[in-house]
Amino acid sequence: MNEMALLVALPLLGAFLIPVVARISDFAAKLLGPLIILFILGLCFSAWNALGSSATAIYLGGFIPPMGITFYIDQFAILMSILVSLVFLVIWPWNKEVELREYSLYLLLLAASFGLVLSGDLFNLYVFYELLAVASYGLIANQSKHRGLAAAVTLRFLFISSAGSVLLLLGIAIIYTLTGSLNIAHLAVVAPEKLHNLAGFSAFILIAIGAGVKAEMFPVNAWVSEVYAVVSKPLAVLMAGLISKLAVILIIRVLLMLYQQPEALQFLLIVGVLGVISGELVAWRARDMIRMLSFSSIAQLGLIFIAFSIAGEKGLWIGLALMIHHLIVKGGLFFLAEKLNGSFANLTGCASRSPFAVALFVLFVLSLLGIPPLPGFWIKLALILNLAAEVDSMYFYAIVFILIATVIEAAYLFKLITRMYQIEESQQLLPTSHSSSVKTSENRLYYRFAQLFAVLLISVMVFISPIEKTLFNIARQSSDVNFYIKTVFPGYYRSHAISKQQTDPKQLSPDKRGETS
Amino acid sequence: MTNLDELLIFSGLSLLALFFARKSLMLRQLAPVLYACILLILIKMSALAYGGAIETSSFTIELLGFEMSWRFDALSWFFAVITLIAALASAVFMSGDWARYYCEQQGEKGLQRYGLLHLVLMLNVFTMLILLASGDLLSLFIGWELVSWASFWMMALSPEAKARQAAVKYLVYAMAGAMALLAAIAMIYAAGGTLQYGQLVAVLTELSKTQQIVLVLLFSTAFSIKFGLVPFHLWQAKAYAYTPGPGAAFLAAISSRVGLYAFVVVFVQLIGFAQLHSLDILHSVWLNIQNILLWIAALTVIIPTYIALQQHDAKRLLAWHGIGQGGYMLLGLMMFDSIGTAGGLMHVFNYASYQAALFLTIVAVVYRTGTSDFNKLGGLVTQMPLTFLVMLIGIIGLAGLPPMNGFVSKWMVYRSLLLNGQPLLFVAAVFGTLGTILSVYKLIHNTFLGQLRLEHQQVKEVPWSMLIPMLALSLITFITGFMPGLILPWIASIQQSIGLPVIAYDLGGIVYDKGGLDMIYVCMVMFYGFGVGAVIFYFLGGRSKRVHQYDNYAGGHFLSSKVRYHYSNNFYPGLMNLIGPWYRGSVVWLEKAVVSLVSLASNLFEHMYRSRQPVMMLAVVMVFALFAVLVKSGASI
Repeated sequence: MNEMALLVALPLLGAFLIPVVARISDFAAKLLGPLIILFILGLCFSAWNALGSSATAIYLGGFIPPMGITFYIDQFAILMSILVSLVFLVIWPWNKEVELREYSLYLLLLAASFGLVLSGDLFNLYVFYELLAVASYGLIANQSKHRGLAAAVTLRFLFISSAGSVLLLLGIAIIYTLTGSLNIAHLAVVAPEKLHNLAGFSAFILIAIGAGVKAEMFPVNAWVSEVYAVVSKPLAVLMAGLISKLAVILIIRVLLMLYQQPEALQFLLIVGVLGVISGELVAWRARDMIRMLSFSSIAQLGLIFIAFSIAGEKGLWIGLALMIHHLIVKGGLFFLAEKLNGSFANLTGCASRSPFAVALFVLFVLSLLGIPPLPGFWIKLALILNLAAEVDSMYFYAIVFILIATVIEAAYLFKLITRMYQIEESQQLLPTSHSSSVKTSENRLYYRFAQLFAVLLISVMVFISPIEKTLFNIARQSSDVNFYIKTVFPGYYRSHAISKQQTDPKQLSPDKRGETS
Repeated sequence: MTNLDELLIFSGLSLLALFFARKSLMLRQLAPVLYACILLILIKMSALAYGGAIETSSFTIELLGFEMSWRFDALSWFFAVITLIAALASAVFMSGDWARYYCEQQGEKGLQRYGLLHLVLMLNVFTMLILLASGDLLSLFIGWELVSWASFWMMALSPEAKARQAAVKYLVYAMAGAMALLAAIAMIYAAGGTLQYGQLVAVLTELSKTQQIVLVLLFSTAFSIKFGLVPFHLWQAKAYAYTPGPGAAFLAAISSRVGLYAFVVVFVQLIGFAQLHSLDILHSVWLNIQNILLWIAALTVIIPTYIALQQHDAKRLLAWHGIGQGGYMLLGLMMFDSIGTAGGLMHVFNYASYQAALFLTIVAVVYRTGTSDFNKLGGLVTQMPLTFLVMLIGIIGLAGLPPMNGFVSKWMVYRSLLLNGQPLLFVAAVFGTLGTILSVYKLIHNTFLGQLRLEHQQVKEVPWSMLIPMLALSLITFITGFMPGLILPWIASIQQSIGLPVIAYDLGGIVYDKGGLDMIYVCMVMFYGFGVGAVIFYFLGGRSKRVHQYDNYAGGHFLSSKVRYHYSNNFYPGLMNLIGPWYRGSVVWLEKAVVSLVSLASNLFEHMYRSRQPVMMLAVVMVFALFAVLVKSGASI
């Protein structure tokens, strides 16, 4: 199982090798990235089969935890790695004339993504988070389409994002001060004793807000609409679809392992509800495609936070399902936005020009809204019903807000769609900056990707039942704190817990912690 | 394979068939045949309507731990038959010369759009059948959403920008309704962990009274929006008026009645009279849910009917009446006695028969003249006599006068209101009928009577392909009015299956110890009276002379065709003097207020997102969050 460390090592190596390889052959440099991703995909699939329903930990350099670097590998991590590789494979700058450093940056981003998914300690999570941030600044600033604007936007993004990183680091530092450890498994053992107090909880808040900048969490997400407006569509897919989710995963790892307590869950619930409401409301006022999609993305992330605020495996599987669904749907929508670009005024009547693209748009939108029998419906239904099953009345208000937000969402999305289907006589008179008239190869490729995502969505709809079961099993496994601890410390944990139970009967054993909180 | 499987599979296959045939003209023959076949399958299941056992489907789907099942009972069958009759009539109407007209209207993509209209009509029928077959709350919700989206598509087919706006407005209302339904379902699930119909009653008794009231309000909001009850009725008239031709006839006839279906299933069958009657608000015995719904129904009878009176467009006038007639159905249903519920349910059938016919006559008039604006029509009776006849029969039914079927159902509702000691509601219902009579008179006067416009002199009767479905619907309107006993067994069977007192009937009408109704007798007396009148008029009267339509005079002056005296503005000046100030549009104000509120909130959040100092925002948020931790820590951590 040690070869899983290659997930991080290979892309890093590739990133540094690309300039060197390019001296020998340009073609080889271009091919290097996809080859690495394909190899990693193969690794992931073989690991998925080998692992089954068990999990394993890798101790890099042979240091036994809580010392050293630990990678924790379970089905959840592998699933996320597969998603990461697939998304990178799709958004890879295939036929664009890009500078070499863009390839390197993509590979850096890839390495950081895998690192975030696999890391078993807080320090490495922070390191990979920073690497992710730096690589994404580079990519945004490198947008050739709007170079000047891109630089300004990147600068603003850099300010807020690094402020977020500082908070994240501060949170981690507080945890380290309180416990003297950064290994998540170790922290999970000592958390009830040392972290469930005022200082420990503040650390969680800092981590959540800090990583929340990237996770498009309310209200530290003002960068979203600016950035998505300047970046190319594949990068927007990457950032909205994947990178935001990776930041969410960071928060969720911390939440699941260290802070399964009502206060933390309530915090997520509140920011989630505010995100949903604010995102949908601002999207309602949006007058161009990218802005609308950006704020809709904020709202969807809010929904994901709400899902994770349900304690235990139920919240985890729904959040996971929402993440994958959003990845597919928003990915498709952003790719379509290449064809259906610009302000709403320009989109009037575009259905007569590109009927199939608009039909795909409607399909994605219907799933986003949660219309049966599309997958979005089942996920939303599961979310609503599980929120309703919670005792706390706050969850009931959350349902009310989600439902109101859905109505607003339907209003603005379908106002746009009916506009697309409108027949406008004066259409030819308007100076159209419509990009569908420009048939570039890029344009066609993105359109193919949108079709691919639509096929994915339909196949998810057909296989919804097995997918639901798989996700549920994954969620059950990764929300199990004990399982995590046992996997990382095969011997240590048992003796520790037994001795603790004997010495201090009031101390809750980790087995029961989930139930009582 | 059970009968229900056959029904659902066949209608699904029909949908596919229309999808593949949507670009060929073969569609015109195919679609009516398909509807007829579905109707045949329904007739095969007709044992349901005569007390037969429930038909179940062999499909079940288990997902997320819920089992969804589908079944048909007498109620579903009744609604399904109405749906299919309306669809068949619309499809036949669409398939003749109207097809060419529509294709020409729609320009170069005419044929494609025509195919789409057929396809969407079939989609509407299919989704209706799925909804009617639903066997638990989850499948009910799915069917509900599907029906809403199918009718949205139908409304959005019209290319006009205004039609699109109306469709989006409908969609927002429908989504709000669906979300209210989802919230209600979530409440039930939270209380009982189940979504089966059977368990709902047990769950309901476990809830506190406030929760029960919230639940019932959520359900009734959801159903009222689809049904078009005051104050959620604003979407309906516009949306239906813009829907292309026969599609509007179908939607107006049955689509919004799924709201009533859900009322029957959830409020009558599951929650029941005793529960609704005992749920009071503010501890006032009078202010219980049943009474509130009754008065909402009464308001729904009155307000839209008098708004219909003010319309200048035939389609809009009819669409507003559609809302008002829904009020009678709910009024009868909420009385919970044998005669009232029978009247309410029967009114669904009766209303569908004449409303579809009336809409089709307007489409026929538009086909010949190009407009449904009252100010541009008039005097068409000599040109289109059969269409006039259909409209005459239709409006007699709509106004609830004998010998048409509308009289029977309205009579039953009145009877129930009187017998149960609700004189005020009775007055409200009669007041609504008065408004109906006035406005349907306006309808027929302004299209078919009065002055013929010069440009309509060459107008001819519409072709038979359009006349046949209209006449068939009129025939149904008359026959079921003459012999209500043809429909009443279906109603009795529904009452039996959902646990209501069952009505006693014979072929002529209702057998009731406090005074029944025998329509055959009533009609005979009427025809006898008309016969005597005709004899006096034609044989015993003085000399008569045929005059030309243009040979008119008023106030001692001859009126040539150039003098326009046919108008619709301020049609009833005397009446408007009395009731004019009551038209305030207060519900419109409510709608605008909600939109403004959303707009305001949206503005606020947008300003927040436009902040120039995101890092400051981050700092502020952090401080607030940490402060919240500090405050909370005293209590819990």
